[in-house]
Amino acid sequence: MLEGLVSPESLSLSYADMSVPERLKWLQQHQQQEVLSLSSNDSPDLLQILQFHGSNNDELLQSTFSHFQMVGSGFGTNYNMGFGHSHEAMDGYISRTSSCQIHSPDTMGVMLKNSEENRAISLKNKRKSEVCLIIVKTREEEKTEKKIKVEAETESNISNKEASSDTSKETSKGASQIQKLDYIHVRARRGEATDRHSLAERARREKISKKMKYLQDLVPGCNTVTGKAGVLDEIINYVQSLQRQVEFLSMKLAVINPELELGVEDLSVKQFQAYFTNFPVVIASKPSVMVDVPLFPLDQQGSLNLSVSNPNQTSIDAPSESWETQSQSLFASVLR
Amino acid sequence: MQPTSSMNEQFLKNWQMGLQIFRPSIDNTSVSERKRAIKLSADVAMASLRKGTTCWSRALIQKAATEDSFLVRQMLAGIKEETLINRKLPKIVCHRKIVRRSKKILMRRKSSSAMEEVTAKAKKLVKRKTKGLRNVVPGGEFMSNNVLLIQETLDYIVSLQTQVNVMRSIVDAAEAGVER
Repeated sequence: MLEGLVSPESLSLSYADMSVPERLKWLQQHQQQEVLSLSSNDSPDLLQILQFHGSNNDELLQSTFSHFQMVGSGFGTNYNMGFGHSHEAMDGYISRTSSCQIHSPDTMGVMLKNSEENRAISLKNKRKSEVCLIIVKTREEEKTEKKIKVEAETESNISNKEASSDTSKETSKGASQIQKLDYIHVRARRGEATDRHSLAERARREKISKKMKYLQDLVPGCNTVTGKAGVLDEIINYVQSLQRQVEFLSMKLAVINPELELGVEDLSVKQFQAYFTNFPVVIASKPSVMVDVPLFPLDQQGSLNLSVSNPNQTSIDAPSESWETQSQSLFASVLR
Repeated sequence: MQPTSSMNEQFLKNWQMGLQIFRPSIDNTSVSERKRAIKLSADVAMASLRKGTTCWSRALIQKAATEDSFLVRQMLAGIKEETLINRKLPKIVCHRKIVRRSKKILMRRKSSSAMEEVTAKAKKLVKRKTKGLRNVVPGGEFMSNNVLLIQETLDYIVSLQTQVNVMRSIVDAAEAGVER
């Protein structure tokens, strides 16, 4: 399990103003400090080291580690844990990425690579924490500059919390660079493509599956079916049956109630509410029951039982015919 | 989400209002006319619960307006929905022949393994079902993506459930009245 390191770069406000070479320089300094600091398990020590190496103090460095202090204090205890675990992971990372080929000729490139690996160790991010950084992958380019993709995950911006709830997974590629871009805040999972499009697609797909789960709860009898097609089928049938019921009920009301009074004067509101609470929502218990044809009164005194049931799964046409024939017979019986 | 009692009451009120509008012209009507009026007012009442926020409600109101615009306008007089009614996306037109031809060409080019064929068939099935769902849900052709479609379906199902419950209880009450 990799722990995360809060990188001050993401917090730096003036970062965008830097050009790329400056950034590289800054990284170089920073990762030197980090290599030293990894051995020490204390955040105050880290800060000291940073200050020590602050001989190359740009304004950047000042501003960034002022931010860093802010965050570091918040993460004080977490920091120790993170660093404690980081060693094995770091070794693993280094070995994994050692075979990664990078075109940059200078030593700076090599140093960068190490730094990136270090930074790739990410703090375990609880949802309540503010900022977490995961470095995704390198993109090898013709130029000597490399780009780091950073996905920052903030509490308010998580578009897909369910996807990123598994925070123990990391990205597959190690080396990375920091680039100032705005990202959709979805965490990439291990072994999956991490470019923007697939992430966005995955976020969309998971939204859809979440909504389908709600639908499964709503539509009776959907729990037994697996797969999107079956659930969609059930939903279609259910909606059609509800629509048919509305038709039938309106026809019945037209027959029974020629004045079109809804009889509110007779019944009080309480009575209506009693009706509403007593009636279960249009749900039947058994999923495979045929559409129940309502029982029509043979004489005028019986009451109609409009039992609701799930639509028949196989044939939709047969029930619709029965609706119509039965409504005609009702009409005939009432006219008698 | 289950239909709440406040939704039921709201629907009932709107429905009654609609029927009141229809009542003056009631004497010479046949059963089918009455049924049509009942159904229309029920649909518009159901749609006005959402006050134009959902796509299906707007589509439903539009459909009702083509049948009886006077009723619709009267029912929606209280709500400034005139503006919201016509705000819709352009219809998604799909020339099937062209699409099929291009898909055939694509399939020829692809070398299909077993897994690919299976997933392709599953996807086709799901697409067909979503098309079916769009036909059933009012305004389905105007929903551009699947996420929206499923959201709208959810809302539509809940509203339909309230409608059916209220109507059924009214019918039963009327039945009980008739028996007496």
